[in-house]
Amino acid sequence: MTLPLSTGPHILGKRTTRGIMLDVLIALTPAAAAGVYLFGVRAAWVLGVAVASAVATEALWQRLSHRPLQVGDLSAVVTGLLLGLNLPSSAPLWLAAVGSAFAIVVVKQLFGGIGHNFLNPALAARAVLLTSWPARMTTFFLPERTLLPVASTAMVGDAVTSATPLVKSGTAMIDLFWGNIPGTIGEVCKAAILIGFIYLLVRNVIGPHIPVLFVGTVALMTWLLGGDPLTAILSGGVLLGAVFMATDYVTNPMLIVSQCLFAALCGVIVVVIRQSAGGYPEGVTYAILLMNVLTPLLDKLFKRRAYGEVKQRA
Amino acid sequence: MKKLSFRGGIHPLAKRHEGKAETSGKPIRDFVAECVCIPMDMHMGPPCKPCVQQGEHVKLGQVIGEAVGRFGIPAHASVSGVVTAVGPVQQLRAQPSLCVTIRNDFKDELAALEALGDVESAPKHRIIPAIQAAGICGMGGAGFPTHAKLRLPEGKAVDTIILNGAECETFLTCDHRLMLESPGRIVDGLRAVMRAMGVARGVIAIEDNKPDAIESMRRAAQGRDGVEVAVLKTKYPQGGEKQLVTAVTGREVPGGGLPMDARAVVINVGTAAAIADTVIEGKPLISRVTTVTGAVKDPSNLRLRVGTAFADAIKSAGGYREAPGKIFAGGSMTGTCAPDDSVSATKGTNGIVTLTEREADAAREIQCIRCGRCVMICPARIMPYRLMELYERGELNTAKQEHVKDCIQCGSCSYVCPSKRRLLPSIKSAIEQLARRRNR
Ligand code: SF4
Ligand code: SF4
Repeated sequence: MTLPLSTGPHILGKRTTRGIMLDVLIALTPAAAAGVYLFGVRAAWVLGVAVASAVATEALWQRLSHRPLQVGDLSAVVTGLLLGLNLPSSAPLWLAAVGSAFAIVVVKQLFGGIGHNFLNPALAARAVLLTSWPARMTTFFLPERTLLPVASTAMVGDAVTSATPLVKSGTAMIDLFWGNIPGTIGEVCKAAILIGFIYLLVRNVIGPHIPVLFVGTVALMTWLLGGDPLTAILSGGVLLGAVFMATDYVTNPMLIVSQCLFAALCGVIVVVIRQSAGGYPEGVTYAILLMNVLTPLLDKLFKRRAYGEVKQRA
Repeated sequence: MKKLSFRGGIHPLAKRHEGKAETSGKPIRDFVAECVCIPMDMHMGPPCKPCVQQGEHVKLGQVIGEAVGRFGIPAHASVSGVVTAVGPVQQLRAQPSLCVTIRNDFKDELAALEALGDVESAPKHRIIPAIQAAGICGMGGAGFPTHAKLRLPEGKAVDTIILNGAECETFLTCDHRLMLESPGRIVDGLRAVMRAMGVARGVIAIEDNKPDAIESMRRAAQGRDGVEVAVLKTKYPQGGEKQLVTAVTGREVPGGGLPMDARAVVINVGTAAAIADTVIEGKPLISRVTTVTGAVKDPSNLRLRVGTAFADAIKSAGGYREAPGKIFAGGSMTGTCAPDDSVSATKGTNGIVTLTEREADAAREIQCIRCGRCVMICPARIMPYRLMELYERGELNTAKQEHVKDCIQCGSCSYVCPSKRRLLPSIKSAIEQLARRRNR
């Protein structure tokens, strides 16, 4: 008998990275389903192509660079789906494919693969698409159907385009909440995003602090500047970004305190962009990306006291 | 009731009752093997010098290995019989250990030490020397000689003795059973230490998942001077020395220091019972309770003679339920792997756990996803993910600045990591390399 020798622990926890990614996918399902219901089959095609492109690109990259195939960890699926949810349903399918490929190769793999990217891949890709094809990225179809209950202001119609997803002030709160408004596939239905948020909390994938502080800061800042806080948090991509993108483990800081600061600053930047750019819709994307860049700094600045540390010096 | 605790920590094997359900209800059973192989290096510090020869007849409790140096403790024959071998045998350490093998004649002829009598009247100055002569070392695993812990260096003072009955490690129930079956002896041992050190406060600390043990110890502590029972939150590593000191006294052990630097001494409940046996009966440390569990047919709490082979203990626990894929001494968080089942149970062996091949299968390690779990739960409040990174990059000096040495090696970080990073092994290697560098 010769048995393996190893340092403990000899039994590891059940949670895996793949399991966490699966939980995120489950949490994104309501938002994706609502998007497809509201915007029709086209939205499903956009999401599908984004996911397929992300997975295929990652597999191809790992193959060509002779690295172990790691698509099984599902992180590419998450990236693809997140990017898809951040596209308008009007987006051409090639745009979704190009965006995902960019996210995987340039933002993720060139920096060393899973865990090593410093920008959120989906958001970075979205920002690049916005710069390269601004018109295609900001043409929004109105929902084909509505989710109940509907207020009289609900904007429904087929294939009518709208230049800006920030809705006119008269839109009823209830339509903002259910997603009876134009916007990207995943951001419009706040109800679905909240269901995903609750799922992530229950499964202990994330804590509440980042989304709550992010959204809270947006509301507070808007209110201080004389705007309507509820409209501010229910329009645009604030909720989707706060729940699913600012909480991305890889690109936010490690300590709870620095995560709180990260979230609050995200909120501040969103409001600043919205104010200064006169309702510029993509504030959320840039706010989170900017904070991604500052994350290494936050990690350096905030140190916690190790057990027994202070007394040693005394 | 207030439950004491520390910051950080995890709940390992939460869905399996920490692996304890199979044995926590099993009364301690005596097991005597036909043959014992007693290593001379069961404790931390200089190993004993064997003082018996092959063919010699020894009595139960006779000294077979002499203490070396001021910190050394002797080893005693754990059975009576004939010495069949004195020589190196592969044990749990990397290199073979010098061992004395004795074939049991089952006569148990006793060579007891001098008893000091009742713990409340025994001469104070003789208690610590008696503990040394009895070969007592920490029975919670590490095997630090107990007399050395109790003999404080000049200028140090202690105001609390903590008995560690937390038993936070997975699978182990030996301390739990001891607290149910011999609570009086445990309190006696505590009182002996309190008197020997002149300390007025003795705290028996137990996790709240053992309400029967709390009750049992409370009853035994009634009317005993300065002895109290503290209830701890069930959380791993609640029984880590530093965590225990903080939970009970609210003080932190300074970095690089020992519990006595926070004016406390921590002793395992099993060690306390062994101290009582020595003071009251003059019995040297020749047996201990060990939880034998995992993939065995009849998981048990056995009182094993020191030097019993794992194979014999496992046979007594019904034998293997399935071919073993791994065997370790201790719990699944910090246990030491055995190369095979021929190795001996020693003074520090609190558990013998076998895993099936499937359970022992190592999960594939992937990159860190910066999820922060290891950071959140680290009881030393250092940054495991970062220290592993620094170790891999060879930046040992930075790791040192970032308190790598304050790691208590509890393994919680490795346990929670979803990417299955081998955090503790890397951190351990970093600490070892730093130590080697200093010695050079
Ligand atoms: S770094 Fe050390 S103290 Fe912290 S969790 Fe890991 S093993 Fe435990
Ligand atoms: S638990 Fe593992 S994946 Fe998470 S931060 Fe620590 S090392 Fe990285």
